[in-house]
Amino acid sequence: MWMVFIKEMKEVVRDRKTMFFMILLPLLIFPLIIGAVAYFSTKAAQDAQSKTLTYAIVNAEAAPQIDAALAKADGFKRLSLPANTSIDSWVKSDGADFVLAVPPDYDADPLQAGNNNLELYYNGAGFNAIEARLNTLIDPIAKANQRAAFDKLEITPAQQSAIMAPIVIKDINVADERENIGEVLGGLVAYVIFILCLQGAMIPAADLGAGEKERGTLETLLISPIDRHKIVLGKFLTIATAGVTTALISVLSMAVWGILVGQSMAIEVVTNFMGAIGLIDFLLIFLMLIPVVAIFAAVLLSLSIYAKTFKEAQSYMGPLVMVIIVPIVMATLPGIELKGIWAWVPLTNVALAMKELIKGTMDYYQLIGIFGSTAVIGGGLLVFCVHWFNKEKVLFR
Amino acid sequence: MIEITHLAKKFAVENPKKLSEQERKDPRLQGKYFHSVKNVSLTCKSGEVLGLLGPNGAGKTTTLRMLSTALKPDSGDIKIAGKSVVKTPLIARRSIGFLSGATGLYGRLTGRENIAYFGQLHGMSASAIKQRISALSSLLELDTFLDRKCDNYSTGMKQKTAIARAVVHSPELVVLDEPTTGLDIMAAQTVLAFIEGLKQQGIPVIFSTHHLDEVAQLCDRVSVIHHGQTEFDDTLTRFKALAPGSLHQAFMAVIATGDA
Repeated sequence: MWMVFIKEMKEVVRDRKTMFFMILLPLLIFPLIIGAVAYFSTKAAQDAQSKTLTYAIVNAEAAPQIDAALAKADGFKRLSLPANTSIDSWVKSDGADFVLAVPPDYDADPLQAGNNNLELYYNGAGFNAIEARLNTLIDPIAKANQRAAFDKLEITPAQQSAIMAPIVIKDINVADERENIGEVLGGLVAYVIFILCLQGAMIPAADLGAGEKERGTLETLLISPIDRHKIVLGKFLTIATAGVTTALISVLSMAVWGILVGQSMAIEVVTNFMGAIGLIDFLLIFLMLIPVVAIFAAVLLSLSIYAKTFKEAQSYMGPLVMVIIVPIVMATLPGIELKGIWAWVPLTNVALAMKELIKGTMDYYQLIGIFGSTAVIGGGLLVFCVHWFNKEKVLFR
Repeated sequence: MIEITHLAKKFAVENPKKLSEQERKDPRLQGKYFHSVKNVSLTCKSGEVLGLLGPNGAGKTTTLRMLSTALKPDSGDIKIAGKSVVKTPLIARRSIGFLSGATGLYGRLTGRENIAYFGQLHGMSASAIKQRISALSSLLELDTFLDRKCDNYSTGMKQKTAIARAVVHSPELVVLDEPTTGLDIMAAQTVLAFIEGLKQQGIPVIFSTHHLDEVAQLCDRVSVIHHGQTEFDDTLTRFKALAPGSLHQAFMAVIATGDA
């Protein structure tokens, strides 16, 4: 078995295509993609904030405070609304970025005017920061008007605060920060790891079964005096190793990049969160990869042995990426927890366990279910592989 | 001594629509089964070279695959030195060196690594493998390319390396399926010289071929298979006697007898 394993690993390591998917892709491409997305989205947000907005005000004389604030503020340029043009079509045809319509009965004193309903016309298709930037100018005016009204009614700031919020409910969330972030991040980590494990194992798997058939080396291997189950186990271990390596490299790459980003941007949450996960839980997360790759490797090897050619094997394996989303989605559904029957549902139990480990709320007894179900399924699939490796119909298809 | 008696093998036809016109007319197609090999018997003693002849699709490769234990016969038996290959395939595999017609090498390994891997699978020690590779390398003229990756080999280099791989464990019997097909004259000559060498060492060789000049040059015995049945199994002298002066005519005479 080890002879087969060592030889297969030698071939995997020498294959540039496999190495690209196993190492280079998770190591460089993912940070590059994430970095590019982060760069462009930050740039878009910055552009929206710094862009000079053109505007017009209808009935500006009714609200001189607002008019003055807009005129004084940086990044706003006033235009006049052309005569005989509807505001709608003018804004739509990019006449201005926005138009603020002040009602004719506008009054700075809310006690006299009630609600002053201003209308903001803007084109909301696409990313913009018009409303947010306008609010930073108008909010202080509204607050000042509000305060003036309370003064007129002889209400102190303390009374004002009480009137504005007569009943206050204060949230005291006993879940610590790790549990909160873990709930969100846990599902994502499982998803990424599952996909990467599968991706990393796929190419060697297609090569080790169907590839041998296509190259004509399988027949020679089958007539060598080695038991079929040893060939299967050697190949299975190679595929599993490739899957684990890919996942490990990806997780490490994500962790390293996470820490780097966290430190460079001084995101304390990220640093604290990474620090809160203990060594044992980290090791257990890696340990969880064993049941995942065991099942993946066995399924991939079965498909690969059945297929006639490398291409045929890949076309069977492609849809697996869609299939594995199901158990991961199950793990994110509300009410599904790592206990009872769910601890025995393959892949879903691993996704749940990864979430629990990241959250720090793992019930370690559930590991029995996880490894138990994996052993049964992985073992069953391996027996099936050996059975197929003995079938002339499959081997000489 | 190799003794093949009344060997038969049938394959289920999954989709009869996919069969070619010629396959549909083949008398071996019976219902859902294609009786690839119906009744093949042959013998080959130590030091003898047996040439296995037959038209394309006659059942030569299936016969050789059964002999190599890759396929299990439905009936009949194969005995090497009295031991049944069918009953104890794992033991038989140690005593057979088989080169299949569609054989390939692991392209990302060097020729040396390819040969050594099969030596290991046969349970040979590292030093024994080294010695054997060195001996085979000079016999088959592999020295110049043995440490290069097989991906870059020519057809001749591949075939010579594949033969070295097939005999790395010093088998008691060597079976070669069309070993010279697709080779240039130089490479083919090396292969034929290698077979001659095996013969001189007393190792029986069974090889299938379409080249009758190779049969004339090397073989002691000839076996002709047609439509899955042995139509001739005797010495080269007897085969030649069927049509004096031309082996081609002798071959055609045997096929004609089978068709009659």
